[in-house]
Amino acid sequence: MSFWIIVGILVAIGLWLIAVYNGLVGSRNQSQTAWSQIDVQLKRRHDLIPNLVQVVKDAMGYEQETLTKIVQARNNAVAASGPAQAGPAEAALTQATRGLFALMENYPQLKANDNVKQLQEELTTTENKIAFARQFYNDSVNNYNTRRQSFPAVLAAASLGFGPIELFNMPEAEREVPKVALR
Amino acid sequence: MSATADFVAAQRVNRRNTFLLLVALTALAAATGYMVGWLVEGEASDTVPLFSTLGLAAAGLMAVVSVGWSALSLAFGDKLVLALASAKDITQAEVPQLYNVVEEISIASGVPMPRVMVLETDALNAFATGNKVGHGTIVVTRGLLNTLSRDELQGVAAHEMAHLANLDTRYMVVVGVTVGLIALVCDMLLRTIAWGGSGRSTNDKKGSSGGGLLIILLIVVAIFAPLAAKAVQMAVSRQREYLADATSVQFTRNPNGLISALGKLAEKAAPFPGVSRATQHLFIVNPVQTFTSKTPALLATHPDIEDRIARLRNLGS
Repeated sequence: MSFWIIVGILVAIGLWLIAVYNGLVGSRNQSQTAWSQIDVQLKRRHDLIPNLVQVVKDAMGYEQETLTKIVQARNNAVAASGPAQAGPAEAALTQATRGLFALMENYPQLKANDNVKQLQEELTTTENKIAFARQFYNDSVNNYNTRRQSFPAVLAAASLGFGPIELFNMPEAEREVPKVALR
Repeated sequence: MSATADFVAAQRVNRRNTFLLLVALTALAAATGYMVGWLVEGEASDTVPLFSTLGLAAAGLMAVVSVGWSALSLAFGDKLVLALASAKDITQAEVPQLYNVVEEISIASGVPMPRVMVLETDALNAFATGNKVGHGTIVVTRGLLNTLSRDELQGVAAHEMAHLANLDTRYMVVVGVTVGLIALVCDMLLRTIAWGGSGRSTNDKKGSSGGGLLIILLIVVAIFAPLAAKAVQMAVSRQREYLADATSVQFTRNPNGLISALGKLAEKAAPFPGVSRATQHLFIVNPVQTFTSKTPALLATHPDIEDRIARLRNLGS
């Protein structure tokens, strides 16, 4: 009789562990899916920026500094790997594009250009999508990290390959006032 | 994180309410059917049996009719509305800003990308329809597209997406069917009583005085039930508008877009051509009335725009 009670308890513990394990797998997969959604948008953004620079280059020849800065920020963002690195790099890129958009206000012929308008719309929507997808990603990651740090998962998570996942934070860098050169 | 939780909770409550309404609707229809059958059988046999076979048959019939009616409305509801409004599908290339804005909100809300359509009219309005998550449609008028800024358009798109996420269309279809059926059945009941009552007067010598009180009670219920049902329907509709406004801000994290969009809508209000009262609750602002003519508050589908703006300002602070 007591033998069967012990067997019953062991089976219950086994089922519990399976549920914990599956929960970890599920939430890790959700985080990875969420990241791949962000990644698509980041790539799109990195592709759009050279196009924009190309189009405005001729009209904005005097703004070399801003243009160099945005290309630099874009290259840093492309080089960044993983959410922890990408966060600050992308924030800097957002900063640089905002600076460029502000400067473009001074060039009526650019504002009237359909090509520029389209690129600007594309960049704006991509930035919004990154921001919205980031909320979902960070929620998923918080959920996963909490699971793997909870008992009993905390005992075995690391050895089973459930490492911590990084959050994707874009520190809203001090909003730099774009320098308007009066020439 | 709490924003997502609130929205998920709202969706769950909405699903449960829809189910409860369906149950209550079927029960009400069956009960009224039983009463009608019971009265008819009582008249025919000069006795008032507690258990009436005809009543049971009528109850069964009413239950089948109400379930069938709801199912049909849900299956064809959105097609009906779309045909009525004759909107056209758009692609990303045609109206990039609208399409992009909806796509952004789709990401923010976790709701699959709906169909996006544009209606060629100068009236400023937008509506959403769809009975299942992932089968939604958002329709925006050309006038709205030409008038609103990007942030304002985003607020409106998020409001419509909130209706889809909260399954409001489904909810309001079921509520509408409930109200319609209550009105229909109460009308039937009144007719049955009028017809049965004249027959009963000849049999008064039997001395069934208890029946008279019951009949009066039935008449009172039959007259007031449809009115009460209508008032409840409108109250539900107004609550849904407030909820959609709040959910919209949870999606965009920017109440100012929707606030200034509502301001413009209030300013340039014009009645919307070709919209029946049956579908007016689906729009972002009431398409039938102009906003200068005050609707009795009890029977309005939408709250006052000033009221909505005031609540949004509270959310923002």
